Amino acid sequence: MLSRVALRSGASKQTACTALVARGSASDVATHDQKTFARPVRGEPGKVRLGFIPEEWFQFFHSKTGVTGPYTFGVGLATYLCSKEIYVMEHEYYSGLSLLVMVYVAHVKFGPKLAAWLDKEVEATENEWNEGRNQTVKALEDAIEGEKTEQWRAQGQELLIQAKKENVLLQLEAAYRERLMYAYTEVKRRLDYQLEKSNVERRLAQKHMVDWIVSNVTKAITPDQEKQALDRCIADLASLARK
Amino acid sequence: MMTNLFSIFDPSTNLMNLPMNWISTILGLLFIPYSFWLIPNRHFIMWNFISKKLHNEFKTLLKNNYFNGSTFIFISLFFFIFFNNFLGLFPYIFTSTSHLTMSLSLSMPLWLSFMLYGWIKNTNHMFIHMIPQGTPYILMPFMVIIETISNIIRPGTLAVRLTANMIAGHLLMTLLSKTGTNMSFYMIIILIFIQIMLMILESAVAIIQSYVITILSTLYYSEVN
Repeated sequence: MLSRVALRSGASKQTACTALVARGSASDVATHDQKTFARPVRGEPGKVRLGFIPEEWFQFFHSKTGVTGPYTFGVGLATYLCSKEIYVMEHEYYSGLSLLVMVYVAHVKFGPKLAAWLDKEVEATENEWNEGRNQTVKALEDAIEGEKTEQWRAQGQELLIQAKKENVLLQLEAAYRERLMYAYTEVKRRLDYQLEKSNVERRLAQKHMVDWIVSNVTKAITPDQEKQALDRCIADLASLARK
Repeated sequence: MMTNLFSIFDPSTNLMNLPMNWISTILGLLFIPYSFWLIPNRHFIMWNFISKKLHNEFKTLLKNNYFNGSTFIFISLFFFIFFNNFLGLFPYIFTSTSHLTMSLSLSMPLWLSFMLYGWIKNTNHMFIHMIPQGTPYILMPFMVIIETISNIIRPGTLAVRLTANMIAGHLLMTLLSKTGTNMSFYMIIILIFIQIMLMILESAVAIIQSYVITILSTLYYSEVN
């Protein structure tokens, strides 16, 4: 029945020996001809009915005899052999019968549990083989995540630099304004001084002039004028007293 | 055709007078799993599991005498005898281990090789082993005689134990089955039931006997060094 496996695999597969020969170097793997030198892949086991009769035989008879054809054939053959005593039901038959019952019961009772445990072992082996590859992939993915975080952090650095620039600009502005203010106050001080000085000069000049005029006038007052002024004042007073 | 009860043990499948039954001996070879793919299948894992357990058992027994690969011969012996015993339970398959020729051919070379190696290379050690520590002097000659006899019959016991167990089991099965040929239908149900019980016993015996023979061979081997 091994030929069935070969037939079913199709034309693209090849046997193990030629696969080994055609392996070539590691650099050829990506570029070598995939059609004629395909890597052999594990296939599914052949389908069977009743545990040992291949499915192809049932398919073969399906067109002629339908679904029950092969079973009828089996039953008929068995009946023929038993009735003609070609197959004699002697002691081996009974021990065979009990063995069949025992095997079937064991298969039904312990089969699933044993299959599950064995499948778990197969999974464990497969995971072990894949572990290296998976760990490398995971490490690389983690590295990508780390790289992204670092890029985000670097962007933050840019913001920091901008903030520092602005800070410096603000400081410069403040210094400029301070100096401007200082210059203004100094100029104002000097101008105030000049103003005060001119005010003082004017006041002094005015006072001096007034004093000079008064002194000259008092000097120029004759006694005649003095007496006239006094008479006038008394007349004003009298008029005022009458009111 | 059963001429007498023991005729099931006769090599009777003939092809031009060549006895063909003995081909059932190599039937066990077909049960060894392939390791073609990297990922093991269930059969392979089962085989590996049993092999590893046996290997650990024998390694523990061998203690200081263990070298890399010492357990291989014993594991192979186990599987060989186990498959022969177990397949003999199936109908129409000849039980080759039920013949003394087979069992003796297995046990005699093993024992003889161990003993010859021991007598030639470690003569003193072999003679010292016969007498346990602290025996009174009077008993020593008798101890030597008894130990020598028990040592000499070891291949015989190994072989005969296996053969006798196989023959006994198969004889019982055959006896029980022979009554089934002319029996009413309802009795056959009981017969089948009893036979199933016997089959279970026989399978257990098959495993146990192969295990016993292997363990004893290991022990005999470990005594030599």
